[in-house]
Amino acid sequence: MNKLIPILFLVSFCVHAQNTEKIIARQGNVAFFSYTSVENIKAQNNQVLSIIDLSNGEIAVNILMNAFVFEKALMREHFNESYIESDIYPKATFEGTISDFDSSQSEPHTRIVKGTFTMHGVTKTLDIKTKIEKIDGKYILTGTFEAVVKDYDIKIPPLLAGNIAKTISVDFRFEYDPYDS
Amino acid sequence: MTVKGAFCIGMLVLTGSFGFSQNLLEILDEEQDKVPQFTEATFKTTRITFGHSIETRKKGVLELFVSNRFWNTPEERTQSFLSDRMSTRIALEYGFTDRFSMGFGGTTWDGLFDGYAKYKLVQQGLEGKGSPVSITLFQNATYFSEGIANDAIADDFGNRMSYASQLLIARKFSRKFSLQVTPTFIHRGLEFSEEDPQNHFAVGIGGRYKIGNHMSFVSEYYAVANPIESFNTYSPFAVGVNWEIGDLMMQFQLTNALGMAEPAFIAQTRNNFNFRNPNLNFGFNVAYIMHFKRKLKGLKQEKKP
Repeated sequence: MNKLIPILFLVSFCVHAQNTEKIIARQGNVAFFSYTSVENIKAQNNQVLSIIDLSNGEIAVNILMNAFVFEKALMREHFNESYIESDIYPKATFEGTISDFDSSQSEPHTRIVKGTFTMHGVTKTLDIKTKIEKIDGKYILTGTFEAVVKDYDIKIPPLLAGNIAKTISVDFRFEYDPYDS
Repeated sequence: MTVKGAFCIGMLVLTGSFGFSQNLLEILDEEQDKVPQFTEATFKTTRITFGHSIETRKKGVLELFVSNRFWNTPEERTQSFLSDRMSTRIALEYGFTDRFSMGFGGTTWDGLFDGYAKYKLVQQGLEGKGSPVSITLFQNATYFSEGIANDAIADDFGNRMSYASQLLIARKFSRKFSLQVTPTFIHRGLEFSEEDPQNHFAVGIGGRYKIGNHMSFVSEYYAVANPIESFNTYSPFAVGVNWEIGDLMMQFQLTNALGMAEPAFIAQTRNNFNFRNPNLNFGFNVAYIMHFKRKLKGLKQEKKP
């Protein structure tokens, strides 16, 4: 019994510590770009959610698909209804770990984030080069990666095949605040 | 407290903390739920077939809307190219805000010039949250520009104007199926006969069923409670297919409604729906969409690290 009390104390402390060690970005920025000779498409979502557990470098991202704003209003409708089918797959998610994450490092540095990205019901493993900065005690993660449209089972009608790039490049930027549940 | 009890509590706390740290995505899901969500694209076009749908054009979007009706005369043999008669309505429709749009057009066959204003009042919420339906207010006015055949009718502006007011109520039941009910009030300026009411009440029902990501099957019907008495009118009906490719939206339909402005096709459709001439009209509408307000002007791609 006496031995258990410190363990219990430790465990509850862990829970508490974990709570305070999470940081969240509620207005994360994700933009994607598709360049072809016919048409350039760009879209931006600035309501992306992301959370990092500083104790172990685990990161999760939740992108609401219908929150993407397009250059052309109609594109957004097409994107949601005909391509990404956001009524069935409302969000894209990323779950991974920042490799060699060290929360004590305050210099800007680059890390590989390894994890799984799920979009349109398809899960892919991604390694994303990410720049990590700490400005005024706030973590800022930025980076870019590429997604191959075909990999995610997104159907493009032959008539419009020339309008949408085979590979979409995705930029992201997250600014984190402490998370209190 | 027994050792066993303490151990149980310890395990509980442990699993609790373990479960917590594992579900970063679940935390985000909870965060997400705080933001209200709305349905997208109950219909794609601003018309279901001939009648308006709840959809309005977004801010800065100009739509060039060309509707055509083709039909044949009852004669056995004619030498017309493609079809004996056709009518075209050419219109420009513009979204002033994301909720409010207006349009102006003219029809060749009946010489009707029409204008409308449309305001999206309520947007249906997602997953049972928010409103169960989308509601749009619609007001139309038409001006009859042809000569008035009847000498008894004064040729003044008021007589030439007709109005239609509609309450468009639609629900997207599933990703494929949407249904709209449209209570309508029509005031006709022209009085053909004293026995005719000038104010009509009607209700429309229309729906779409998606048969592909870019194509849907649509149908629409209007019933008039107090139709014109001095000549026979019938309820307008249409079946068709709507197809969209990028900035181009096309509607193909079979209908008995010749008119393309609300007071004309709802109250004054003179033929019933069947497959004989001249009752059957083939309708072909094209909407070409132009964006005048481009968002994200400053958005530039990051340079690759």
